[in-house]
Amino acid sequence: MDGKETAGPSSQIRVPAGPRSGLRNGDEPDRFSFLFSWELHERLLWFSKLRWIAAAGLALASVLGPFFSMPSTRPSLAVVAALVAVYNLVFIYVLRSRLGPEKDYVALKGVAILQMVTDLAALFVTVHFTGGCASPVLPFVVFHMAIGTIMIETRIMYVLAFAVCGVAVSLFALEHLVVLAQYSTVAGGQPSVGSCILSTFMLIGLVFGVVYLTDSVTSRFKARNIELHQTTTDLRRALDEQAQLERRKSHYMRISAHQLRSPLGTIKTSIQVLLDGYLDPGSPEGHRLLAGTASRVDSLLAIVNDLLELAKMREGRARAPWARNVSINQILADIFDAVDPYAREANVELVPHFINEGAAVLDWAVPPDLVYAFENLIHNAIKYSKPDGGTVTVALGLDRSHAMVVVADEGIGIPADLKDNVFLEFVRAPNAKHAEAEGTGLGLSIVREAAQMHGGKVSLESAEGVGTTVTVVLPLHHVPPEIIEG
Amino acid sequence: MARPTILVADDDPIFVVSVVSVLGTRYDVRTAANGTEALAAVDDDPPDLIILDVMMDHMSEGFDVARVLRRDDATALIPIIILTGVDRVYNLRMEVDESWVPADQFFEKPISPEALLREVGRLIGPGEEKS
Repeated sequence: MDGKETAGPSSQIRVPAGPRSGLRNGDEPDRFSFLFSWELHERLLWFSKLRWIAAAGLALASVLGPFFSMPSTRPSLAVVAALVAVYNLVFIYVLRSRLGPEKDYVALKGVAILQMVTDLAALFVTVHFTGGCASPVLPFVVFHMAIGTIMIETRIMYVLAFAVCGVAVSLFALEHLVVLAQYSTVAGGQPSVGSCILSTFMLIGLVFGVVYLTDSVTSRFKARNIELHQTTTDLRRALDEQAQLERRKSHYMRISAHQLRSPLGTIKTSIQVLLDGYLDPGSPEGHRLLAGTASRVDSLLAIVNDLLELAKMREGRARAPWARNVSINQILADIFDAVDPYAREANVELVPHFINEGAAVLDWAVPPDLVYAFENLIHNAIKYSKPDGGTVTVALGLDRSHAMVVVADEGIGIPADLKDNVFLEFVRAPNAKHAEAEGTGLGLSIVREAAQMHGGKVSLESAEGVGTTVTVVLPLHHVPPEIIEG
Repeated sequence: MARPTILVADDDPIFVVSVVSVLGTRYDVRTAANGTEALAAVDDDPPDLIILDVMMDHMSEGFDVARVLRRDDATALIPIIILTGVDRVYNLRMEVDESWVPADQFFEKPISPEALLREVGRLIGPGEEKS
């Protein structure tokens, strides 16, 4: 049977189940009983099978009574055998037809108690007819009590234990006082051969029965311990992951808040300076301050836009506008048209280079996200080109299964100690800040997010003062999980 | 009499314009865009007061510059004001690597021009209005 799985942050908590442990989906342990409902049902049916063996044994004893020196008890034992067979049939019918494994647990426990009482009654009658206090059947009373303790609440079993002891003492007393007849298997002061054989078989049956019963109980304990340990380990791991996610989320929020706060501090200070009259807004310095303040507002807007884009990519994949047969060639061509004025202004030559013939078409894509990502890459390549200009090459490669977009510039490059971190949010190299004060530090994060949501990946090579090459590889035939699930 | 000089180190040029416009009414102000430039400027001509932004080219660069200045006998007594936009000032005090933060005062951005002038006046005197 399958385990129940509860989705955790990024791992699954598995509540293990199996016949050895006894756990099934939705199982809750009863406070008073070791067994779950379906286990109790199974056990009761199993004991019904044992009861057939008992009835057969009693029937055999009634036939072989003389051999056991019990000729007078033959009819009595036969009656007991018949009664046991009849009530066993009734119990089996009730368990199979009226009370399935998922039925009322209270009703099942009631059946278990009734079975115990009837079995004990049959046992004591058999004890009486097979020698009383010297009966070889007596140890089976103990065996039955052990079985009962597994299935039935302890307090009820204590009540039954008192009742059993009371019945036993009363029976032996009545037999001794000859109020009840004595049926002995001992003839002439010595147990008969048949009686010895019967006792031996009873002992063997009892010994193996106890071992089997104890093993079936302890093996369940062991299995449940193992599964509990595994569940605990899984839970701990899930909690650790959850805590780590929370820490990362808090860190991300803190960094984002700082990035928004910083330009706001400049804006407020600038406005206060102008309001307090430290600078005349009409003066050249005043105008420079106003222009700079407006630029800081643009920075804020750019940061907010990029944060929203990232959040949209990460959280709204299911609602993303997935489109069929999206041409990367077309996306790049549109971006070239859009950034061409900016490139001219920066004295940068934009060089498109299509390595293979044919259009790179993705089976599924979100065009706005790819446009945002590639435009970010190309815009950055232009922005961080050297002051005297240069070349930005945008290459598109294609094979049977992948499209590859490579954006290479001859700009300022990225310092070696930052290359591993540039895909993190808000990371900007010092030389980038010097070259261009404006920048959100989110561009490469957005490119990576866009690549990943399309089943692809992004990599970067760079040398400070030489240039940077960013490579985005996208599978042509990736079907996003959101489409499969939808 | 020469006016007291102040060195302002901050990587935000617009913020620097604001601070210079406020302090320039009473003091002579020089600027630096990062810690390296700030230390070079102090070497050339030690100012009467140094105002450092915390985050310039890297996190806590302002603290690093302040520690360097404090360890040098020639600059150890120059008053230092640290500007931060990272956190509230009391959080910042708790989060630095060393328990000793080598600054005479902290200001959280955005700053109040009046409060800045008042604090600078307390540290190096009221200065002199530009004639």
